[in-house]
Parts: sequence; structure tokens; C-alpha cells
Amino acid sequence: MDNVIEILLILVSTIFVTNFVLARFLGICPFLGVSSRIETSIGMGMAVVFVITLAGICSWLIDKFVLIPLDIVYLRTIVFILVIAALVQFVEMVIRKTSPALYNALGIFLPLITTNCAVLAVALLVVQNEMDFFPMLFFAFGAPVGFTVALLLMAGIREHTVHAKIPKVLQGTPISLVTAGLMALAFLGFAGLVKM
Amino acid sequence: MVRLILVLTIFCLVAAAALAKVYDITKGPIAEQERLKTISGLKAVLPAFNNDLDKEATEVIVGQDKKGRDIKIKFYKGKLDENPVGTAFQVIAPDGYAGNISILMGVGPDRKVSGIEIISHKETPGLGNKIQKDEWKGQFKGRSLDDGPKLAVKKDGGEIDQFSGATISPRAVVNAVKKGLEIYKKESGNGG
Amino acid sequence: MADREISTSEMTEAVEAVEATSWLDIKELSGDLVRGLWEEIPLFRLVLGTCPTLAVTTSATNGVGMGIATMFVLVASNIMISILRKVIPDMVRIPAFIIVIASFVTITDLMMAAFTPELHHSLGIFIPLIVVNCIVLARAEAFASKYNIIRSAADGLGMGIGFTLVLILLGSTREILGNGTWFDLPVLTGLMGLFNYEYQPMIVMILPPGAFIGLGLWVALANKIEEKRKGKK
Repeated sequence: MDNVIEILLILVSTIFVTNFVLARFLGICPFLGVSSRIETSIGMGMAVVFVITLAGICSWLIDKFVLIPLDIVYLRTIVFILVIAALVQFVEMVIRKTSPALYNALGIFLPLITTNCAVLAVALLVVQNEMDFFPMLFFAFGAPVGFTVALLLMAGIREHTVHAKIPKVLQGTPISLVTAGLMALAFLGFAGLVKM
Repeated sequence: MVRLILVLTIFCLVAAAALAKVYDITKGPIAEQERLKTISGLKAVLPAFNNDLDKEATEVIVGQDKKGRDIKIKFYKGKLDENPVGTAFQVIAPDGYAGNISILMGVGPDRKVSGIEIISHKETPGLGNKIQKDEWKGQFKGRSLDDGPKLAVKKDGGEIDQFSGATISPRAVVNAVKKGLEIYKKESGNGG
Repeated sequence: MADREISTSEMTEAVEAVEATSWLDIKELSGDLVRGLWEEIPLFRLVLGTCPTLAVTTSATNGVGMGIATMFVLVASNIMISILRKVIPDMVRIPAFIIVIASFVTITDLMMAAFTPELHHSLGIFIPLIVVNCIVLARAEAFASKYNIIRSAADGLGMGIGFTLVLILLGSTREILGNGTWFDLPVLTGLMGLFNYEYQPMIVMILPPGAFIGLGLWVALANKIEEKRKGKK
């Protein structure tokens, strides 16, 4: 029972209390770029959850069984980013073979996930915080879920306000950033909910 | 195809070699920085000392955590010309507002606090993080378990200031310091 | 072979071809340098590198630190990729770029841990994240893989300086409003102190919302300035 509670706490913590986009500033570029429509946001979200969970697991394993025993921890950054790039290629191939429809829906988003700072950040965080396997698993799952939640909320807002009269200088990036700021303000309400 | 793999492999090998070299060069300075950080923390919580206390530190098991693993704390004994001036060790407050607060505290041979330093925390900037202010930390100097109920935040009937809108962080630190004093009492009672 | 007249367009093409391979065309070089300072300045004009910007600009000092670290990686990897541009097979160019960039990022990380420990601690995880800072990969792909070393270096330098300027602007705004200090100097707190008034900082500026809203408003200002410039032309 203790473990279930710990898992729930990890999920609540990564999705709401320290939301990866709104509190940790990770994954902002795709967050701003993709969130104009709910459909594309769902697709991107699913892809990101899949890639980051896998990337977290791979990085954790490589760190534990290769980097630490060989005392080459300083190679973390370069090894992890190459693993992530390879993983994204692999995921792209798998999706193209198994579900061409999904592949068409996700389109160019897949290769872009490599430069999504959230992926590398999750990989680094799980090894830097010396997590055990199961906490790491749910952390690597919860983080991109939080990203997707923020993405969907933003997409919802943008779809609603697409006909609003926005002053010319604020159109585009500025108003998206201000909107994100207000969302971040709201999410601050979760602070202190879970002590992690 | 083979050429592609070959080029990438050569790249990786060259990169790894270059990084190994840089790591070699920076290993020493990085370790030195860690040591300096520890020493400066110790200097802040202990009265003047002139021994190499990081080399003479002892590790003590103070209990078990929820998973049954031993909780170990490093005790740094400061000495001035071979006379003990105080012992410094780390305590963790698990009940901070946003997580653990790591505190380094120094206790003199008279069992009174000689100083505390906040090593790490996740408290809210502008509110809970005021525990890092020197004036606030200074309130702990000279405190001991003999203070009894006075060693608490004002809201709980004690003498330590809390901050308006941020009682949880100070309270967590006070509880941790109290626990630290008790740990010291137990350990020094065993001839430490 | 009969002589034929060379048309003006052929002449221009020939001149341009020569110019494109010139190493020290000052006009070109200064163009490369200046491009990153306004026309294609990161964040204000190109939406790249937003993550580290929002995260580290809690103070002006952090902004400068991150800016210089990123600039080093930009210039170093641009130069290296430009040197190797004829050797890297096109199919694996992205992984090759990543290896180069990640190496320089690791070097920066280790150097900062050894010689600027406080800054290293403040910038934290965002130092290794420079490797996925879109600016670096974008310049490698768009510029360094196509042009010579000196121009690539100038491009990296220009982008780096532009990025640093934006970081300083946002960092200063958040630090002054959110903490009363600028580069740790008690600017507002001191000023208000003269009138015996204790400056109550706008904490929200240090917190995430302040980062988003602050950057949003600065980009809006940059848009306004660009509009006015275009209007004048």
C-alpha cells in the first residue's frame, strides 16, 4: 500500500506540483509551437509520453550498468542525447510500420522530440537524483503526462481565443507566453501539495 | 553504409578521448571546490578551529529510515590546538514546505548550538527561503535542549521568529535542530 | 571557340560565386555578426532557446553566465562543424553535429564545475541542456555546415551575443522587480532605503509566471520596435 501511495505522490508531483512546462520550463519550444490545436496536441503528447518514458528507462539502465561501473559519468550528456536521438529514430520507424495513420498524424513532430529539452532533462534528473527503478519509472511517465496536460490546456485556450482581438504587437509568441504565465500562476496553487 | 558507421564511430572515439582528457584536468579542481564548500560551511557553524576536520570526520549510524536502511551522519570534530571546540553534523528537516531542508549545525562541548547553516532547500523564494538570512539563523546560537519549550517558533510558544505567511519552513528547521541536539546528546553520551 | 558576349546576369553570378568563397569579405563578415544582434536575434525574432531563457533569468548574473556558456558552445561547435563540413556524410549529419555539440557542452560543464562553482550550481541542469538548445543545432545545420570557418565563427558569435543580451534584459527585469537588486547590487532596495522605505519585492517575477509574462512582454516590445523600423523604411 505504501508503494501505491508513493507512486501516486510521484505522479501528482510531476504532473501538477512541479509541472515540467509551467514550473520547470522544459519543453517550451514544442509547447509554443504545437499547442494551436487540440488534435495535434494529443498526438504530440502521446508521442512524447512514449519517448520520454522509454528514454528514462534506457538512460537509467545505461547509467547504472555502464557509466557508473566504468567511472565515465562525465559522458552522461553525450551518451544520453545519442541514445535519445536513436530512440526517436526507432520510435519513428516502429510507428511508420505499425500505424501509418498515426505516423501521418504526428508527421514532423517525431524528429523534433529529440531537441525537446524535457527528454534529456528527465534522463539527467533520474540519474542525478539516484532514483530506484520504480520511482524512476513513474517519474519518467508522469513528467511527459504533465507536459501533455499543459499542452492540452494551452490548446484549449488557444482554440477558444482564436477570434479574440489581440493587439498586433502581442500576436503570436507574446500572447502565448503571457497565457502560459497565467497558467503557471494558477499551477503555483499546487505548491507544497506533495513534498518531493 | 559502412562509411557512415565508420565516420560516426571515429567521431565518438575522438570525442570520448577529448572529454576524458578534460575530465582528467578538471577532476582535481572539482574535488577541491567540493572540499572548500564543506570547509566554509563548517567555518560558519563552528567556533575557530585549526585542524583538518574533513579528514578526521567519523561516520555514525543514527537510526534506520522507512526502508530499513541505515541513516549515517558525518560528525566533524573541530579542534583549536588539539582542544575540542565543537562538533558539526548535518540534519535533514523532512517537513519543509516543499520538501527536505538540509541543515548543517555546530554544537559546542557545552551542548549549546554554535551555529547553523542551511545547505539546501526548496522553500518558496521571498517567503520560506528567509530561513537563509543570517539574522534568522543567528537566533539559534547558544540554544540547547535546556531551553525546553523556548526552543520553538513564537506561534508554538517559543522564542524563535517565524515569518508572516511562512511558519512551516521555520518550524521545520527548529524541529530539525532540536532533533540534532538530541542526536548529539546521545552520541556524546557514549564518549564521543 | 567563338567569343560570345557575357551577359550581365552571368557576370553578376560569376562575381557572386567568387565572393561566396572569399575568406575575409568584411561586409559579409559584419553581416554575419550583426544578424544575430537584431534581424535574427534569438527569442525576439527567432523562437529558439526559450527553455534556458525562462529558467535561468532569475538574476542578471545568471543570465550573463548562461549567455557566455552558450556563446562558447555556439562558436566552438560552429567552427568545428565548419572544419569538418566536407567530411561529414549528409545522411548522418545530425548525429555528427550532436556529437560535436555535446562534447563542447560537456567541456563547458566540467570547466564551470571546476572554476565557477557557484554559477555552475545556479545554472544547474540547464548547462548540459545547452546541447538541446535549438539555437546551437539550428546554426550548425543552417550555417556552419555550409560556410567557411571564419564566417561560421562570426555567426556563432553574433547569435551568442544576441542571446546573451536577451538573457541580460530579462534577467535584469526579473531581478530588479523581483528582488530589488541588479547584479546583486541593492539598486531598488538601496534607492528606497534612502527614503526610509523598505522595498517589497514583486516575488512573482522570480517565480515561473514572472518568467513567462516578462519574456512575453519583452517580445511584444521587440515586435513594436521592428514594426516601427519597417514603417520607417
